[in-house]
Amino acid sequence: MKPTHHLDDATLLSYSAGALPAALAVVASAHLERCATCREHLLDADQIGGMLLQQQRVEAPDDDARAAMLSLLDHEPALAPMALPADFVEAHDPDRLPSALHPWFGKSMHALRWRRVAPGVQRILASSIAGGDLMLLRIAPGSKLPLHSHSGNELTMILDGAYDDMLGHFGPGDVADLDGETLHQPVTSPGVPCICVAATDGPLKFSGWVARTLQPLFGF
Amino acid sequence: MMDSDRTLAKVASFRAKRPVPPSVNNAVPDALYWSTQMAAVSLQRDRASFMRIYDHFAPRLQRYLRNLGVAESMADELVQEALLTLWRKAAMFDPARASLSTWLYRVARNLYIDHVRKEPHWLPVQDGLDRLDHAESDRRDSQPESSVDQDILKQAIDRLPPVQAKLVRMCYLESKSHSEISLELDMPLGSVKSSIRRAFAKLQGSMRAPR
Repeated sequence: MKPTHHLDDATLLSYSAGALPAALAVVASAHLERCATCREHLLDADQIGGMLLQQQRVEAPDDDARAAMLSLLDHEPALAPMALPADFVEAHDPDRLPSALHPWFGKSMHALRWRRVAPGVQRILASSIAGGDLMLLRIAPGSKLPLHSHSGNELTMILDGAYDDMLGHFGPGDVADLDGETLHQPVTSPGVPCICVAATDGPLKFSGWVARTLQPLFGF
Repeated sequence: MMDSDRTLAKVASFRAKRPVPPSVNNAVPDALYWSTQMAAVSLQRDRASFMRIYDHFAPRLQRYLRNLGVAESMADELVQEALLTLWRKAAMFDPARASLSTWLYRVARNLYIDHVRKEPHWLPVQDGLDRLDHAESDRRDSQPESSVDQDILKQAIDRLPPVQAKLVRMCYLESKSHSEISLELDMPLGSVKSSIRRAFAKLQGSMRAPR
């Protein structure tokens, strides 16, 4: 199924520039794996980077540097035929997490070891990621999350199940690319739990006393 | 073998029609020129063509990395590494998809994120995305839009309003996150993002415009 909610262009440009905080970049990569449309937009962003690289005004390289480069070529082995491993995406395996998540959470959705953090909410935190927080969330079907906004940027990708909020219906592969101006209250769909991967570069701000009570439980 | 012979013949006749201009510092040869050089590197392991690419791009890559704050010796190393990658993977270059400057930009950015920002998972993920793109263009019957007209894109960059131009450069050439830009310029995060979005839409419009 093709995603219907995509990465914000500003996020893609930052990704292309190598400027997206690491936690957000993991979620962006996971979506890019599943979304040809965003890969096309990323190529456009890379073309801008290529042009800015091209436009730099520079001096010609000196003879020493040229000689050093040529001697490196002397030590290059003859080229082996390029292998194109096909293992990157075993498409349509519903248990397989996107490759970008493997280093943090393993390969299998089934094998995840959840920890309960609030009624109906389970979580796995990625340890030792620099630049933001990265976590998997598993929210019981038919749950209403506390109303909250974000003090920085938040990127969430649905892996299984679905939720609805003021921005629409989010199903597997969709990303919600939010910043501090969005106040939202997701409601998960009935049936199966909603499993998503979420990254933030700043703590969440919950509004209302219920949410303030819940905030320590979420540990955001 | 048959396949590569056929490609070689195609490229050889294509090359013959196009004499190679002498390289001039800071002049920008067109995309066709670079794809011809890349074909010679890939099919004939031609060192003269490789060094034409080196002479033009090595100093630009060096400048790009130094602007990102990479120390000089590390930048030298990464420039060599980027060009060795080009030597090894020249066959992967597809001029119909992206210009050589775009291709090298990706290589250098990936090396920067791997070596300098030390994010060990970035390179394998980028390789994976590359493979997906290759699989996709192989599946298509006709080529997608060929790589963009470099002059039109350049003009569109030059025409950006000053604030948008500044934000785009801070992203690409200083590798600053939206939050860092917001702090540094004392500009709300939402405005930073919407300006960047508008700039991107303009540049993208120029790339997609009919020639």
